[in-house]
Amino acid sequence: MIQPRPAPVKAHGFRFWLRKNLFNGPFNTVLTFVAAVVVAWSLYNLATFIFVEGSWGQVWRNMRLFGVYRYPPEYLWRPLLALGIMLGLMGVMAGAGGRKSIVAGAFLPIQGFVAVVSVVAILFWPSVRFLWPGALALGFLGYFIGSRWPRSIKYLPWGWGVWLVVGYLLLSGLTTGGTLGKVPVRDWGGFLLTLILFTGIIPSFPIGIALALGRNSKLPAIKYFCIGFIEVVRGAPLIMWLFIASLLLPLILNVDANSLPAIMRAYVAITLFSAAYMAENVRGGLQAVPRGQGEAARALGLSAWQTTLLIVLPQALRAVIPAIVGQAIGLFKDTSLVFIVGLVDFFKVGDIVSVQPEALLVTGGVKLEVFLFIAVIYFFFAYRMSIASRQLEKRLGVGER
Amino acid sequence: MSDAASAPAPIRADAPPTGQRIIEIEGLNKWYGEFHVLRDINLSVNRGEVVVVIGPSGSGKSTLIRCINRLEEHQQGKIVVDGVELTDDVRAIDQIRRETGMVFQSFNLFPHLTVLDNITLAPTRVRRWKKSKAEERARFFLEKVGIPEQAHKYPGQLSGGQQQRVAIARSLTMEPKVMLFDEPTSALDPEVIGEVLQVMVNLAKEGMTMVVVTHEMGFAREVGDRVVFMDAGQIVEVGSPEHFFTNPKEARTRSFLSKIL
Repeated sequence: MIQPRPAPVKAHGFRFWLRKNLFNGPFNTVLTFVAAVVVAWSLYNLATFIFVEGSWGQVWRNMRLFGVYRYPPEYLWRPLLALGIMLGLMGVMAGAGGRKSIVAGAFLPIQGFVAVVSVVAILFWPSVRFLWPGALALGFLGYFIGSRWPRSIKYLPWGWGVWLVVGYLLLSGLTTGGTLGKVPVRDWGGFLLTLILFTGIIPSFPIGIALALGRNSKLPAIKYFCIGFIEVVRGAPLIMWLFIASLLLPLILNVDANSLPAIMRAYVAITLFSAAYMAENVRGGLQAVPRGQGEAARALGLSAWQTTLLIVLPQALRAVIPAIVGQAIGLFKDTSLVFIVGLVDFFKVGDIVSVQPEALLVTGGVKLEVFLFIAVIYFFFAYRMSIASRQLEKRLGVGER
Repeated sequence: MSDAASAPAPIRADAPPTGQRIIEIEGLNKWYGEFHVLRDINLSVNRGEVVVVIGPSGSGKSTLIRCINRLEEHQQGKIVVDGVELTDDVRAIDQIRRETGMVFQSFNLFPHLTVLDNITLAPTRVRRWKKSKAEERARFFLEKVGIPEQAHKYPGQLSGGQQQRVAIARSLTMEPKVMLFDEPTSALDPEVIGEVLQVMVNLAKEGMTMVVVTHEMGFAREVGDRVVFMDAGQIVEVGSPEHFFTNPKEARTRSFLSKIL
């Protein structure tokens, strides 16, 4: 009989880790030192630029442009109210789902972001001093309502519907002049525009699913239309579709080019472009669902539609969450291409700000500062989406075989 | 032995005339492309009868029972289930599928739904039962297959034997008139085959009409009312288990049995 023996002692600790991974042998030791010097030198230079040499005044003075561009300053309460309502609705979802829900996981960091901006607004931006904290408060009010009365979540679809209408009316205005004076769509810009264009991912979702299902259809007319649409749209760059949408869409609809706002044309192009990619992602998911799933559903007497909606699609979509979120992140950044059709989104504001007369007075220009700032903001939101996607995968992975 | 020239008259695998027929298959032929997978199949099943289909792999036995609920389309011949003929008519297909339960080799539980939701899905959506009724029936059948405590788990959290029993409960909750079993124990670990077979034995004792494709000769012998032996897409021999396992007529049957017994 073999007697039990104690397990070999596992060496722990930072020093052991260092010796094992960085200093095992003379060659690796030299490599470690060289790499450390290079990294330290680069970081030192970057830090010197950020904290000493950089002139951030130009970025700081133009925050309003980055936010909304030419949207009239006296109407700033309107987009911020729309933001506040949105945060409130998200708050209800997060509150009802509990602290550890996915929505809460996305909501709380966004509230954190708004809180930071609110502090800055209170200290430095008198015109929106109370508006940012107000939006923040609406968010927490929603969270409170959601956690106090979780059943309020039933009315959320209505809430979002109302928000869409109210939000649009707030942004565009109703009357000439006055508190609700009209703001032409061409004056919407900055991060506001980036967010609006990004919502194109939402309609692209059902369109993409329909295209993916249509591609598998037995009816040749539907099948070949879907294949044709997907292949043609994927076959050309987004930037070209933006061009085509701004020229072709008025032609197809037979209206004057100026009567369709450029934003709407870009929105249609972005949505359809995204839908084509979405369709291919979803198709990948459909193929990943074993045949037996559909057979079992049909054998139980479920109709073809019920089988698709209740059995196949839920499994297919779950399988492609990473791909879909990847696409959302890609689209979020690709909205920056709309500058090509004359729209001024967050990215384009950077371009404009860095060539203002004040900017040109700064030795060496301020391009680097401006684009570092833009990069950080894009990164914050893209990374948040990435985290949310991983949480979603984990949550839906329950009972996966 | 049976060349085309010297082939005997096709075997009529009819149920004994005593009972009421629920499945009638006449002159069934099916091709996969050029491959003639089912050849002149004639078979009827009486209410309450347990018919066991055996044969080497590739003999077409799975294809045969998948034709009965139209998971496979046949090209020639006639299939009538409970008085409804299987045609391209979707309503006829749906009606037959409602009355026909099927258990698969690979269970095919829906991994994104709990056990209870797996079972209640079809009764609520197809039979339009109230949720409370569906859940009550689901729990009844879960009790029957011996796993009432697993109702709120996901299929991935269950063992293979438990999954197959859930699949059986899922079919039974639809209150089918016929149950089709397509090699229900072939994907199971040897030590859990018994628990699934026991459920099937109980079901047979209660008078359920069953068509079972299986390699479990013990089950065929103990529970089967008739055994059908298929080879190369044809029914070679039909008989009572007694006749079949002690005194088979055909050389092909004898050679198959000598390999597996």
